[in-house]
Amino acid sequence: MAAIGVLAKEAADRELLGLMLGELGHRAEGSGRLEEALEFARARATKAFLLVDGNGADAESLTRELLRQYPLMPVVVALKVRDASRAVALMRVGAAEVVAPPWTPEDLKASVSKGLRFQGTAITAASAAPLSRSPLWYLLTVALFLAAGLGMASLKRVERARAVAAARVDRWELPVRHPAGLAFDGKSLWLVDWFTQSFYSLSMVDPNVQIVRHLTAETPVAAAFTTEAMWTVSADGTVIRRMRDDKMSPLTTYLRAAPSSAGVAFDGLYLWSLDARAKVLRKHLVDRELSVIATYPWRGVKAAGLVYDGRSLWSLDAAEKRLLRHALERPADVIESVPLPEYAEGAYMAVGAAWDGSRFWTVGEALDGRGPARLVRHAPEAR
Amino acid sequence: MTRAPFLVPALLRFPGSAARQDSWGRLLKLTAGGADVSTPAALAKGDKVIVQFDLGGERLSLAASVHYAYDDADGQRGAELRWTDMKERRALARALVDVLSRV
Repeated sequence: MAAIGVLAKEAADRELLGLMLGELGHRAEGSGRLEEALEFARARATKAFLLVDGNGADAESLTRELLRQYPLMPVVVALKVRDASRAVALMRVGAAEVVAPPWTPEDLKASVSKGLRFQGTAITAASAAPLSRSPLWYLLTVALFLAAGLGMASLKRVERARAVAAARVDRWELPVRHPAGLAFDGKSLWLVDWFTQSFYSLSMVDPNVQIVRHLTAETPVAAAFTTEAMWTVSADGTVIRRMRDDKMSPLTTYLRAAPSSAGVAFDGLYLWSLDARAKVLRKHLVDRELSVIATYPWRGVKAAGLVYDGRSLWSLDAAEKRLLRHALERPADVIESVPLPEYAEGAYMAVGAAWDGSRFWTVGEALDGRGPARLVRHAPEAR
Repeated sequence: MTRAPFLVPALLRFPGSAARQDSWGRLLKLTAGGADVSTPAALAKGDKVIVQFDLGGERLSLAASVHYAYDDADGQRGAELRWTDMKERRALARALVDVLSRV
């Protein structure tokens, strides 16, 4: 409860405002003249003044005078006539609040309580919007932030999945039409083309051909690389050991040593050849005749390639669209079978395979005989 | 944020189409982008209002829209205003910089 001085020229106004202040829990000290009001302020320690403006009383001068003597005292002015410009003028001279007619306890309560907690305007030159926001605004902002975060995470996940999928299987249409085999020399893939009698060094990230070597004296159908040499097989079964130079210079020729060859592979000690017609795997000793020291039945349908991955032999079955794994000790047994779903659509037939140290690659020939060859990089788990 | 020793009084005028009486209020907060005002006028979100007040010896008149309005603890109306006229905003920003440079 606060003691509030009421300064009104008319007794009825003093009585009405006094009653309203009493209802609000304040103690009103009414007076009709300024001197009387100042006396009350001195004697009763009033916390605020309530002035009535109009009917001959000039609240502007009264406010100025009261604030001259009590500069920290809030002054609330009650207008007899509603006039916004007058209200602003009164506030400019120092009135804390102005109450418009008709006076109601609610308006009076709001103005007096606000006047008793008089504070200054917070000023900044920043253009930031005022900070007061509705709870809904904060809720929506947080929700938007979370949604944006989740959206970004989702997009990144989709992008990552796409990149992973792209890395798992890649296919390139090649500028050749008659592939016969595929080999990996430790750095790049080499495609054997029987029609152009050429070897093509392929890019492993796009369909570009990096190097072309022509072997016009023969029709190559398969190839394999060792650290110091390369082996090629011609259509008539002649095996040639070559230098790994720019001309692929022949070192040793073995006439018809690997007939009907679907592929050759070198395991570090022996040369292996896969006979597509006889459906046998041959193990050759690298001597003057490339002697066959063992022959094993091959249990696939259509032999198309042979690869050594450092531990096992893998043969390519073009009809069954799968790679077959053979243990070196018992090559006749198939210890694992890996399907090649990339050929499931049936437009291409695999004709060669290679192992780059981590993945299998195959090359396919278009079954209509007119389309470009297709190079396929298989998923790592295809081993 | 600097606080003035008084609450800046402001005259609130409404566009003719609103057919509302002029009112008054106190600027609780004043920035170059908008203001918080305490007023007996029943402001509502979306209302257009012209705010006139003195600052740094200059009489400013700024068009604003009510961005958010609420009843404060004392029973008066509080409102968050956003200035809508860029030219007037620049004039206010100049006045604010001038006033604040004297603190």
